[in-house]
Formats: sequence, C-alpha cells, structure tokens
Amino acid sequence: MTTGTLFDIQSYAVHDGPGIRTLVFMKGCPLACAWCCNPESQAFRVELRQVPERCLACLRCVEACPEQAMTAIHGVPVPDRAVCATCATLACTAACPGGALVAVGRPVRAEAVVEEVARDADFFRHSGGGVTFSGGEPFAQPAFLEALLRGCRERGIATAVETCGHVPLRDLQACEPLVDLFLYDLKALDPAKHLALTGQDNTLILANLRWLAAHAPAKVVIRHAVIPGLNDDASDHEALADLMLSLGLERLDLEPYHPLGEPKYEGLGRRLTCAPDARLLDEARLAVLVATFNGRGLSCEVA
Amino acid sequence: MTLACAQPFTPREGTCRPSGARTAFLKARYLQAPLMVDIDYIRLLTESHRRTDGLEVLERRAENHAYALERLTPVIHPQDELVGNKTRFIRGAIPYANYAAGPFLKGIRQEQQDAQQKHMDQGHGGGIEQSLALAEQGEYRVFSGKFLIANADFETFREICEYWEDRCFMAQGDRLWKTHFPAAAFIEQGWETGLFTAPHDPCPEGRLVLDFETALAKGYRAILGEIEARIAAFRPAGIQEAGKLHFWRAAKRTLEGALVFAERHGEEAERQAALEEDPARKARLEQMAESCRRVPAEPPRTFREALQSFWFTYLLGHIEGSHLGYSPGRLDQVLNPYFQADASVSYDEAVELFEELFVKMTQIEYVASLSWQGLGHGNLYQNLILGGVDEAGRPADNELSRVILDAQIRMQMTQPTLSVWYDDQLSPAFLMKAAECVKTGVGYPAFFNQKTYIEHERKTSGLPVELIRKHAAIGGCTEPTLQGLSYGVVQAGFVNHGKLLDLVLNDGVDPLTGLRLFEAVSPRTYEDVQRSFRDKMHTTLRNWQQYWNYVMLAHRDTVPLVFCSVFVQDCLGRGKCMDDGGALLNGSPTTLSSGLVNVANSMAAVRKLCAEDRVCTLEELRAAVAANWEGHEVLRRKALDAPKWGNDDDAADALFLDLFADYCAWVRGQENFLGKPYDPSMLAISTPVPFGKACGAFPDGRKAGEPLADGVTSPFPGTDTHGPTAVIRSSSKVDHTQIRGGLLNLKFHPSALKGERGSKNLLALIKTYFERPGFHVQFNVVDSRMLRDAQARPEAYRDLVVRVAGFSAYWVEMSRALQDQVIWRTEHTL
Repeated sequence: MTTGTLFDIQSYAVHDGPGIRTLVFMKGCPLACAWCCNPESQAFRVELRQVPERCLACLRCVEACPEQAMTAIHGVPVPDRAVCATCATLACTAACPGGALVAVGRPVRAEAVVEEVARDADFFRHSGGGVTFSGGEPFAQPAFLEALLRGCRERGIATAVETCGHVPLRDLQACEPLVDLFLYDLKALDPAKHLALTGQDNTLILANLRWLAAHAPAKVVIRHAVIPGLNDDASDHEALADLMLSLGLERLDLEPYHPLGEPKYEGLGRRLTCAPDARLLDEARLAVLVATFNGRGLSCEVA
Repeated sequence: MTLACAQPFTPREGTCRPSGARTAFLKARYLQAPLMVDIDYIRLLTESHRRTDGLEVLERRAENHAYALERLTPVIHPQDELVGNKTRFIRGAIPYANYAAGPFLKGIRQEQQDAQQKHMDQGHGGGIEQSLALAEQGEYRVFSGKFLIANADFETFREICEYWEDRCFMAQGDRLWKTHFPAAAFIEQGWETGLFTAPHDPCPEGRLVLDFETALAKGYRAILGEIEARIAAFRPAGIQEAGKLHFWRAAKRTLEGALVFAERHGEEAERQAALEEDPARKARLEQMAESCRRVPAEPPRTFREALQSFWFTYLLGHIEGSHLGYSPGRLDQVLNPYFQADASVSYDEAVELFEELFVKMTQIEYVASLSWQGLGHGNLYQNLILGGVDEAGRPADNELSRVILDAQIRMQMTQPTLSVWYDDQLSPAFLMKAAECVKTGVGYPAFFNQKTYIEHERKTSGLPVELIRKHAAIGGCTEPTLQGLSYGVVQAGFVNHGKLLDLVLNDGVDPLTGLRLFEAVSPRTYEDVQRSFRDKMHTTLRNWQQYWNYVMLAHRDTVPLVFCSVFVQDCLGRGKCMDDGGALLNGSPTTLSSGLVNVANSMAAVRKLCAEDRVCTLEELRAAVAANWEGHEVLRRKALDAPKWGNDDDAADALFLDLFADYCAWVRGQENFLGKPYDPSMLAISTPVPFGKACGAFPDGRKAGEPLADGVTSPFPGTDTHGPTAVIRSSSKVDHTQIRGGLLNLKFHPSALKGERGSKNLLALIKTYFERPGFHVQFNVVDSRMLRDAQARPEAYRDLVVRVAGFSAYWVEMSRALQDQVIWRTEHTL
C-alpha cells in the first residue's frame, strides 16, 4: 500500500492540460521559488495554517495545544511556529470551532486518490480531460506518484504531471511511460539567476529536459512563469525560445505572475520575500509576449 | 495598492451592446422609465362587469375582456416597430382587482398586506428610484412599494377595488374554503408562520404556453369561422353538453375583441404615419399599419408580420390573466419557417427585431400582493426555450435559434427567461453560442434535458412521444409543460420544508410566532425526527393540495381563461375552457416545495451526532439549535462537519434521495382540481431567502434567519467542499423523471470559462450531467458587483468556482485586500 501527502484536490481544473481535469496537489518541493503562489506546497510535512477572519477568539486552541505553543495575546491566539513545525498532532486544529486553524496536508493512500479522481471519469471523457498531478513537486514522492499514475492508467484516465524538473532522472524515466503529458516548468535558463530565484541551479532540470525531449517530445509542454522584473527581460525569452527550438519542443504555456498566493504566506506565519508588480503584465504586454514566441515558430498560449 | 492582480481576472466575455441606435434607445428608455400602474384595462373590464349581471360566467368573462380590448388606448411609442403593449406606459402593470382586490385595498388603506411582507425585499435602483422621485413631484403617488399611480386615477381605482372586494376570485375562494375546509386554520397559520408562500390568488396562473403555431398558421378569422360552424351545427343532448355553447360563444367574443384591438393599433400607426415628417419612419409606420390590418386576422406573409402576429396573441393572452410565468415557449420552432421563407429579412435585421421583442417583454410588470412581487423579484419568468428535438426526434435548432441568442447577448435584458432544451444532437454552432451567452453573465440560457422531461411526461400522462417532443416547452422558471396542449402548471404556492423541520424540533409549535400547528410530540431519537418530519410533511401537503382545489373552483366561477383556452388544444373541440378540463393535458397542476436540502443535511447531522458518534443527545442538540448555537460553538463545528448533500457522499445523499422519493410519491397520491394526480415539483425562485428568514437555526449548523439552500439540488452554500463535479454527481442521483422540474445553480468566475476552451469545457460539463441524467443546470458568471456582495456575505459564495492555472484556493479565503483587487480587475479590464 503506497501512501503520500497531498494538500488539495481540485475538480473542474481547466488551465492545466486539456479539457476538464482533476488537479491533485502534492506536498513538498525541492525548489523554493520566491514568488510561489502555493507556499503551502513547499514543505513536505503537514503544516498549520491560520485563517484569522474565522477566529472566534475562544482560545480553545490554547487549552488544546500539548506543547503550550499557543499563546493568547490581547485575546487572540498566536502560535510559536518553531514548535508547531515539529508538532505531530496539530491538536489545535481539531479543537478550533471556527475553522480558523487548519492542518494543511494529509497523508493518503494512492488507491483512495485514484478512486476519487476516477469519479470524474465521464467529465474527462466528454471534454478530453484527465488528471494532472501538481504541487509541490510530484516526483518528490516518486513511488506514490508512480502508483497514482499506474492506477489512473488502469482506469483509462489520461494523465499529466506538472514538474519543476529538479528530480532524479531515474524517477522521471520510471514514470515516463505512464504519463501522457508533461507540464515542464522552466523558471530561468541562466544558472545563476535560477539559483537566486529558486534556491537551486538548473543543471539537473535542463539535463532531464534533454532526456525527455529526446524520448518523448510530443508529450512535453514547457511552462514558464513570467515574473515581472525577475525573469522577463528580452534575453530571458530569447534563451527560452532558442532552447525549445534546439530540443524540438513547440508548445509553450506562459503563466503570468499573480498575487493570489500572497495571503497564504501570512496564514503560514511566513512573508512573501518578493513582491513583483503584476500590473506590468497587462493583457497588452502578454499579447506581445505570445506574439514574440509564436514569431519564433513556437506554439504559445497563456495558461 | 502595492499589488495588483492582472490577467487571471479577465472580465466576462461578450459584445454586450445593442446592435443599433434604435434598440440602444429602446433599452435606455426602458432603464429610465418609472414603474406605473395602469388602471385602463381594469376600469373598462369593471365597467362592462357592472352591466353584464345575469350573463353566464364564461360569456360574461369574455364580454368583459372583449369590451376592454375594444376600448383600450392604442399606444405606439417613438421608434417602436413591434406594435402593442400591455399598458400605456413603458413599464406598466395592470392591477387585477378582479383577481384579488383585498391586497390592493389594504395598500390603499395603508395596512399590512400579509404576514410574510416583512420578509420581502422589493428591490431598488433604476426605474424604482425614478418612481419614487416622480412621486415627490406631486402628480403621482407610490403604490404597492415601487409603483406610481396617477393621483387622478387613485380614487377611481379605490372604487374599482371596492366593487370587487366581495366579488373577486380571492373573496369567492375564501368564502368556500374558510367556511368548509376542516384544515382552514392550518392553512392560515401556515401563512402566518411562513410554512407556505402567501396566498397565490393575486397571480394564480401562468406557466402556460399558447398554441402560437395554430394562431399564426390559421389566423383568427379562420378560427372564428370554425367556431361559428360548430355553433351552427350544434344540437345539445343534455345540459352538460349544452354548456359547450357558452364556451364557444365566449371564445368567439374574445376573438372579435382581439381583432378590434389589432385594428385600432393599425389606425394609430396610420395616424402617426400621416403626421410623420421623416420618410423612413413614415414608411415604417405605414408598414406597421398594414401588418396590424393583416395579422392576427390572417396568416402572416412576411417574417415581420409573423413576429407581430405572435406578439398580438401573446399580449392578448397576457392581458386576460394575472399571469406569472406565462411564456412564449419554443419561438425558434414557431417562427423559423416564416424567417426562412422571407428573403427580405437578413440575419442582423432579425436580431434587431428580437432585441426589440426582449425590451417589450421586459417592460411588462406585475403588481400583486407585496409578497408575490417580492418572491418574483419583479421577474415575470416568461420562458423562451430554444433547440430541442422535433416530432421525429431530430435536432431542432435552426438559424433563428442563433438569432435569438445573439439578440440576448447584445441586449442583456432580464426577460425573456431564455432556455435551451438540451439534446446531444444539437449543432455545435448553436451550443457554442449558448455558452457564449452564458459567459456574458446575463444568467441565461438555462439548460434543460429534454429527454428527462419526455420520460417524465410519458410516464405520467402516457401521451405519444412524438407529441411530447414537439410540444415540450418550459412555462415559467423551470416547469416543463406542453405548449398549446396543457393548462400549464397551476399550483397553490410553495411549501417550506425548513419550517416543517422547525416544527419537528419544537414539538409542533412555531418558535417565531408561538403558533401551534401540530399536536405536541417530542422526538427523542434520530428515528423520531425522521418519522415526525415525514408525518408533518404528509399532513401539510395534503392540506395544501385540498385547499387549492376549493380555490380553483372559485377561479372557474370568477376568472376562467377564455381567450387563452382558444389557443390550447383541444378546448374548442371539447367545447370546454381550461378550467373545465378542455386541455389535452390536465395532469400538470403541481405541488411546489423548496428547502429539502437543509432538511437532509439536518437529518445527516442528527444521525451523525446523536446516533452514530453520540457526541450529544438529541435534547442537547435541540437546546443548541434553540439558542441559535450561541454558546455551543464546538457542537456547531461538529454539526457543520457532519456529512452534507452535494459531495457525492452516498450516505448523506441517500437521506436527500429518500425524502425526495417520499415527497414525490405522496404528492402524486392526491387528485388535483381537474381530477388527475397532482404532479410533484420543486423549484425555488426567491423562496430560499424569505423562507430562511422565517426559520430558526437547524441541526446542520445553519443559523436562524439564514437563507435556505438555493434551487432544488444545489448544496447549501459552503457545504459543497468537493467542487462542481461532485455537486453534479450528487445531483444526478435524483431520479428527475419523477418530478416536473428541479434545478441546480452553479457559480463561476470568468476565469473558469475563459475563451473557446472554456466554452467547450462548460458544454462538456452539461453533457456529462445530462447523460447521467440530470434535468436542469444554470450558471451564474459573476461580475464585480457580485464579488462585492461576496465580500459582504462570504458564506453565500463559498462555492464560487475560481480557477487559475496551478493555483489552489477558494475566493472566500482570500484576504479582503486581495478580493478588492480581483474586483478592481474584473471591472477595469474591458
């Protein structure tokens, strides 16, 4: 029985592969992109999230915490995040009547996930959709991912994996036959820039992409998150187009930066370390970008 | 603002502008017009009624209606090309004192109209604001909340109402059931407590579609000829048989009045043409005059004449009754042959004509009791349904179906209530256009599964499938009917299932009013709650159905629909009006209800908390509910976490399905006023809000006064945690062939429907639901105004589907500042 950790399953996802899809968000990621819109996806462990608007200030969490890590300050509970990070029970979440304290992430059996995904099989069938494993980094839980892919394959469900590529090649190779579509993220091509933005250099990512492009080019869609001021100058885009053309890859999805993940940081007791200005990415600018890539002979869309 | 949110929040799509200056003018004029009460029709009808004492009921009704039609002031407003209005005003309502004078008199005497008035919101803004401003200037006074009545008319109207006070339909009905029906007190207490919607007498009819196909194809003169021939050849065999003569004579009289009505409009067009300087308008007016002379007397020769002919018949039927849900039906089927045969009308011209038609339909207002005005939110639910299959089962969408969608995409009017009969074979071009219309955010079209209704009708009426396919339409918001064959859907109003739950939990006493409706029984266990609910529901339904049978006898004796009966088969053949069973299909009168999802969720919570997990006793749970959960937050959290309908959880869903099946079976066990089994139906209109206001807290975690679950199979807001596909999977477990109607509302942010791909996914969603099979689905595509409302009432928008690539979140969990930015973007990226 293979188990892994998820933090969300979203049905009727329509931007991550063709048709109507179920998006399975897996917890844990080897990168730490500064702008990440799913910060709760980065850590592998189950985390505590606060939704302050829902807090009834009843302080039941203070009573429930076995580590005495929850303190009332002016009548409002404040967690000691360092202690919470090692907490195995998160008893405060069960005690909270308002739903203001939430455990992000849950361990699940692969079979149960496949079962849940398969419930939408007829939506997939009528729309040309399927399942997309995203996260987090799906390949960071390789055995779990393989079991999920195999289970979906057995039920005739089309599969897609969104990956950052910073994974052992053997894991990619093991799963490749079970994947119909790779949404392969490229954050930056310049190694130093990549390191600065994500905490890792991109040698492994590019090597894996080369392997994938050589073995299954038709399965690959490159996804590029466009972050104003960080990875969106002309040379970045030039290099991206060059690389894709040299690898024989055609399909490119642009993911424009949006600040929707921002409030999540606060709930996790963290801060967003960069604040790109999304206003720089209006429809007109995006249209220019799309046209530029298409002009290079790529097939580019905004996801 | 430090952050702004770009592309994920594109606004809704669509070119939402009238196609030309003329229809732009018509729309703008409508939006600025005050809401007026026009007493012309009722004054004339009353004048005639005073003089016709002694005439047989049907003949008198026909005489009164025809007398008024022959004398109404014909009005053609500047730039109108479609002739005829329900009143003299741009936005006007006829106060049908002959139906229910009581509520008007209470308004005149400034008394409270009924117990439920306090739960109703009459709306504000636009024309309503205009009304109130005009009232301050002195020539008008405000009437029935949002209407204006000329001071000069007010005294006349008072006299009219006083004349009808004891003669009207409502008074006659009251005299019957209040003096004979053993459960009369129960009905009145039901109104007082919000167990039922307020008395339906002020607007009892509608949900009706006339046989426009025959009206156009034959023309009134040919139909008159047929009636005269029937009368001439008639030799009665007994008094039952002899009664036919009354109906035929009455029918003949209404058609004669209708012809004068058209003729007078022709004269008015001619008069205006003579005065007109602009040559184009002059020519148009002359052509309009010619149309009015031709139709509806004779079959139309052109598409314009066909549309005019339809509009006259539609309007004349509308004027006769105090309708709510009176509908045009399958207009693309009826009018397309005329469109195809007329080479002189282009696609774009046809679009413009429908744009005008939609303004005209929206201009019709109704003034009734305040409660019914509030329930309908001023919406008349004139349902125009497109597509579907023809007699032979072939896809029936045509060029005119797309014309009509284009007109609504451009006009964004609140009427007609646009719908699609869905069938897998419909053309992709039509379906994509329907999706395009949905994405403008106008809320239309709603999608209905024609196969499901055909199966329902085949099972209940046994009519041939070819007939059902051809005539299947929607009358009103979601009630299927057979156009031109059926007395629509006539019913007493709604039963509030939530209030029944209140009564179960409070030993038969309504906690808000203290009224006792049932003998004291105190439930001790989960099984007791189930049994008690079932018993109370059975009693309530039986009383409600029996009460309505008395009322409909009074309807037959006071306001039978004669003109409308002429255009419902086979009233002329049988020599009977619809009230006497003249229609081919008489099984359609229904019993309506709303709020069953909350009952199912509450049952699930009681079972989970008291029977399975035993975290509290039923007594403790009842105490927490009685305290509106205050001081019981931990228990409320457990109640909220208990299984809920709409997540494809078989155990929770089974509770709803059991209640649903029991409701359907019980409703069918009783005969309606036409001697056929009552048909079960569930729908909502605005009932979830006033019904919810009248209810205390529920064991499912809902607090006192909160609205009930919307629609029929829509989950309670915030309790569907598994997304729209799980909602659809739950909803499709319901056997929709058991019931006439049912509805599911889904809310989408434009981000989830973007572009051609978004449209295709939406259609795939509909196809999947209907294959299972579901019956109805409708989409709210939000705009910035709704998002603001979502900020104010986040619970009601927990289910809003916002989709951004690779992003996991719910709208209501976003911070306020971020929501503001989303709203800003939704408003400004135009």
